[in-house]
Amino acid sequence: MTIQIDLSQPPFSLLSNDLLSWLTQRLDLVFFPAGAEIIAAGSESPGLFIVYKGVVEETDASGERVYAQYAHEDLFDVRAVLESTCKHRYVALQETLCYLLKAADFIRLLDQSTDFSVYFRPDLAAKQSLIDEKEGSVAEFILARIDEETLRPPLYVTGQTNLKRVAQLMDERNSDVVLVRTARGVGIVTGTDLLKATLLGDFTKQSKVSEIGQFELITVEYGDFLFNALLKMTQHHIERVVVMRDGDIVGLLELTDMLSVFSTHSHVIAMRIEQAKTLDDLTIAAQRLQSLIETLSEQGVKMQAMMELITRLNRRVMQRAFELIFPKRLQQSCCILVLGSEGRGEQILKTDQDNAVIYKHEHELEAIRPFLQQLHQALLSFGYPPCPGGVMFTNDAWIHSVEGWQQKIQRWLTAGTPDAMMNMAIMMDAEPVSGDAELFLPVKHAWQRPELRSSMTSAWFAKSALQFNTPLTFLGKIREEHGHIDIKKGGIFPIVHGVRTLAFEFGIDDCNTLKRLQHLQALNVLHDEVVQGLTDALLLFLRIRLRQQLQQSAVDNPGLNQQLSLASMRSVDRSLLRHALHRVKKFKQLLINHYHLENF
Amino acid sequence: MLPLWVRRHLPGFQAPPERWQHMMHSYHGDEVVVLDCETSRFDKKQGELLSVAAVIVKGKHIMLSKALDLTIRSAAVTDAQAVKVHFLRQEDRLHGVSTAEAIERLLDFIGNRPICGFYIEYDRAILNRYIQELYQFQLYNRFIDVSELYARLSRKKHPESELDLTFEGLAAGLDVPIIDRHTALGDVISTALMYVKLSEFGLKEIAHG
Repeated sequence: MTIQIDLSQPPFSLLSNDLLSWLTQRLDLVFFPAGAEIIAAGSESPGLFIVYKGVVEETDASGERVYAQYAHEDLFDVRAVLESTCKHRYVALQETLCYLLKAADFIRLLDQSTDFSVYFRPDLAAKQSLIDEKEGSVAEFILARIDEETLRPPLYVTGQTNLKRVAQLMDERNSDVVLVRTARGVGIVTGTDLLKATLLGDFTKQSKVSEIGQFELITVEYGDFLFNALLKMTQHHIERVVVMRDGDIVGLLELTDMLSVFSTHSHVIAMRIEQAKTLDDLTIAAQRLQSLIETLSEQGVKMQAMMELITRLNRRVMQRAFELIFPKRLQQSCCILVLGSEGRGEQILKTDQDNAVIYKHEHELEAIRPFLQQLHQALLSFGYPPCPGGVMFTNDAWIHSVEGWQQKIQRWLTAGTPDAMMNMAIMMDAEPVSGDAELFLPVKHAWQRPELRSSMTSAWFAKSALQFNTPLTFLGKIREEHGHIDIKKGGIFPIVHGVRTLAFEFGIDDCNTLKRLQHLQALNVLHDEVVQGLTDALLLFLRIRLRQQLQQSAVDNPGLNQQLSLASMRSVDRSLLRHALHRVKKFKQLLINHYHLENF
Repeated sequence: MLPLWVRRHLPGFQAPPERWQHMMHSYHGDEVVVLDCETSRFDKKQGELLSVAAVIVKGKHIMLSKALDLTIRSAAVTDAQAVKVHFLRQEDRLHGVSTAEAIERLLDFIGNRPICGFYIEYDRAILNRYIQELYQFQLYNRFIDVSELYARLSRKKHPESELDLTFEGLAAGLDVPIIDRHTALGDVISTALMYVKLSEFGLKEIAHG
């Protein structure tokens, strides 16, 4: 046909042939010159736009905050079509041609094709969570669906029951709510209603419950997002909703139950770690972490919350293993450091063992060694593959006394070779996890000295943030290789390393990239929008990478895979990714200007 | 255009049948119909209509969803050269509509809106030949030729440059995608885009004096 977009890919391929050919009859083509406003913030969207040519930018009403960019075959704005107005502003950056599917026609497709509407549900949820992440209101948390697990069976009484009896029943059943069956339908009465009726109102213990029941029930559908239930509760200032299935009441959903659904898993694992009596117990608990990550990811838990949780659990596992392996008398003789992404608290799926040891006394070294070997073995059995670069305490290069470390760091800082630089970078993200953490302080001071932050050292350090090209083409599209991009080289490393360099220069003691960014913001080194942009970008990279890594969990160590497949990404993610890569590119430029790297 | 009462008294004026009376009146809206005909061969007098497509353009909006795209059930012998252009074999035309129906629907579709196309004179001649034969009148609509608009604008902007006035040349010059070249509807969409862009430039030119 004459439609110039590929309709044989999702979501259009989900339509039946009839609907698809109907769709091709319903598309209009609209031209926008560069700079033209396509949808104004707060206005109604005429329909769903599908970009044929050109680039469209989504910003907030003032145009200051950029959310995403859209190019060939990207769709926007699904939410604006379904809701009455569009929250954001859409502007053509170049001359742009869009196909326009009128709102009524899009809704008709959603109505007529289940597959098609299911496709847009996660899109909506992802959009929602994205906006929430930014606005920090409702957590992305609650994307699980309403099912048996979350429901409470309702407690029914008849309308004739008196208030005293209702109160007794609630007490007996340990429930704060009853449903009232009367001739005019089902109503709801809560503990609060009872209190208000008797203490604030004129009702007595003998009054009939039907007189105080609330008969306009706030309901949700079984199988709907918990998120929607939460929204309803917030809207109506209530703590429970009635769940309907095919027109019948199937149960009640309580706010408190809902919130506990999400923490149980991690609690169970944390308990197992604490209670582990042997290394075998601990191994079982450690191996559970992978499935915890899967669950959290499926439920759409915020990336940042997830990183914190997993980091804490990972470190707890390390500490428990250390406590189980090392005899008491040697536990204060050394300090175990985790390095790299684990040290920064940004590791989610296990990558490789990056660790080091500081020992207290030379003469205890030989006594410690066999236990370190055991610890190394334990980590292997927990699922941490050995570090291919040998950054492990089993390697003599990564086990020193305090003085030994200080000398080593001194040598790294003056060597100026790429190897020394990389080692220094790894060490800068060190975090003590077990043993005597005091040992780490003098080591850290070896590089946290103001005179070292001279521009030359930092500049030399900053340079490697530029070593990989951002995978964007000249025209600003994602540059893929066989449908993939290396997200570590292309996106994560430049941010992490650039921020690390700035943190070094400005003497910031935190290891976590997001926390470093916050310090840099507080010190006015980076502008608010740069910090926000880099935070969003890094979290997005980690989130997309994790999602794809989890899909390949059949492979050994999916955590090591840095290749993102563009084809298996939703259009909304692809456009967010492209936008995030643009931010990386801008950040690199900022580093070049800051450290005068033009001539390096 | 001359007022209707003047035109009525000019020699050779033919009033259309009752149904299309409105087509005589001058148009005051902001829509334009872009159309394109494919013929059995490139000949105003002999070429038989094989397909016709038209679309309404309102501002920057190309109303594809209301496009007209008709293939004509014509027994015309397929010209070996022309078929390489339009790819309409006799077999492809079997399921088409009759010429009379096509013209009837086209007239209903365009009304008195201006008609725009690429070398629109050719399409005008073809259509008038059929309309004359069937209903004894000729199109009164204003005709707009994108190649002419393009030439005028380009000469104004770059007076000394060589102009490529082929369809492909216009598409390249205006950075307009070529969509299914030589299917009537594909050409119509590209032409509509040329028109939208030209009127965009044109407005700027006028605005800047």
